[in-house]
Amino acid sequence: MSARPDAGHIAYLAVNGAIITFLLAPIAIITVFALNPTPYISFPPVGISLRWFEKFFSSPEFMGALWLSLQVAVVVLVLSMVIGGLCALALARGNIPGSRVLTAFFMSPLMLPAILTGLALFQLYLLLDIGRPVWGLIMGHTLVAVPYVLRTTLAVLHNFDRRIEEAAAVHGASPARVFFEVTLPLIRPGVFAGGIFAFIVSFDQFPISLFLVMPQGETLPVVLFNYMKFDLDGAIAAASMVSILMAVSVVVILEKVIGLKSYVKL
Amino acid sequence: MADLSAPALSVPAAPVLSPRRPAVSAIAWAVGPALLLFVVFFILPFGVMALLSVLTGNPAIQSGVTFTAQHYERFFEDSLYFEALVATLRIGAITTVASLVIGYPLAHLMARTHSRIGHALLLMAVIAPMLTGIVVRTFAWMTLLQDRGVINTTLLSWGLISSPLKLMYNEFGTIVALVHIYVPFMVLTLTGVIGRIDERLEQAARSLGANRTRTFLEVTLPLSLPGILAGSLLVFALSISAYVTPFLMGGTDVLTLPMLIYQQVGASFNLGFAGALGVVLLAVSLIVIIAYNNVLGRFAGGEKMA
Repeated sequence: MSARPDAGHIAYLAVNGAIITFLLAPIAIITVFALNPTPYISFPPVGISLRWFEKFFSSPEFMGALWLSLQVAVVVLVLSMVIGGLCALALARGNIPGSRVLTAFFMSPLMLPAILTGLALFQLYLLLDIGRPVWGLIMGHTLVAVPYVLRTTLAVLHNFDRRIEEAAAVHGASPARVFFEVTLPLIRPGVFAGGIFAFIVSFDQFPISLFLVMPQGETLPVVLFNYMKFDLDGAIAAASMVSILMAVSVVVILEKVIGLKSYVKL
Repeated sequence: MADLSAPALSVPAAPVLSPRRPAVSAIAWAVGPALLLFVVFFILPFGVMALLSVLTGNPAIQSGVTFTAQHYERFFEDSLYFEALVATLRIGAITTVASLVIGYPLAHLMARTHSRIGHALLLMAVIAPMLTGIVVRTFAWMTLLQDRGVINTTLLSWGLISSPLKLMYNEFGTIVALVHIYVPFMVLTLTGVIGRIDERLEQAARSLGANRTRTFLEVTLPLSLPGILAGSLLVFALSISAYVTPFLMGGTDVLTLPMLIYQQVGASFNLGFAGALGVVLLAVSLIVIIAYNNVLGRFAGGEKMA
């Protein structure tokens, strides 16, 4: 854009400023409530205290939920990196007929209502009479996390020069050696970036968890939701801060590891 | 959908007829784990959901279960349910249009920001909210829009209003929060498309005497139409499936299909009817998803999906 300051350009920037404020202000406002000591959400803030963080970190209910969410998210991270990474390789390098349709199929959990995935899994587990095991929850999360790994890994695979692999093969490397010494190092950033998304998607996952958690073993978003139905106090804000800080660090790590751009190549 | 997966497993060694397509390589087997995951935890459960929606009960724990259309009849006979479907689609449509209006300028700015740092900062501003959970973001909007929330308290203290505006526990509040949650998807889809428009076309229009507005309306906007369509379908598909936000922001004023579905499971434990509602929502979503993939496929020229 030209730097010439005319009215149209100023309006353009002002509108965008307003939009960015709309995007970020709600997240910023949570900080205010997490630090405000009043018993209920009230504005303007009257001071600064850490009592809500204390309440959050000393509540067995919140801590149990946080711990469960973290454990589930770590397993989902590993599973979706392996499953999604392999799947991306097959789709990009396997010359599978109809791989475009297959890719769309593997991406579809992102667009299908997650609440239906939750309902469907709930009904399946009920029909099989297996109760609501934690691994069942993990598989549900993995299903919606795999597309993220698939997307970032495919983006990397589409960008890198296939002739590098061919060169290695021509020089006598076995297919296994080509894979471990050429392909894997090249796609690693894509798989990692996808894995980081998978972690955060699982950590924040709500609609599937809603159906699949046990009353005594709820994940953090479900506990927060149930708490919010009755009470809006700073403990929720403190819990939210924890999850926002996690998201922000993820964004920063992603930008460092792979650059956010590769994720955005939709 | 299961048919799609068949060729992937059965073809590896078979000769391929098309001269342009190289033989399926051994690496195709790597699709296996994903296929297994999707068959067992995606296709099978949705099949069960569809099955339960036409049964009188749960065959695993009851005997004498028969096929029935009662759940679908109930959906079409009681206007409450049909109204919930209409409300779901209406909220989805308004959310989509608002996301487009709000998302377009930001996507345009992102696509036209060429400095690396500027671009990264804008991306962070878009992706950070996206990575914050929906429960957390809905909470944020509750603190802003409730009667004693930030907006009402501020307006009251400035003397601009004398009693709190009703900003939430209605469709308005629901839509505001939904737009905030789904606008990043719109921005990211649009940015890609606008970024690929050759800027020289705009410069040519300008140098031929078109002003900024006319250049935008006659060059940039038509060229970004595929992105507008894809982004809108994506946001629509996502917002019709929202549960948390309508539940917490809508109060008693808003009843959407996802809320009804959970109600049937959580409160009434009517799995068959929940399944029927699920199938209705699924049908709407599938239409939108197929349209989305068509738009994307046509736009990318069949070259890539991811």
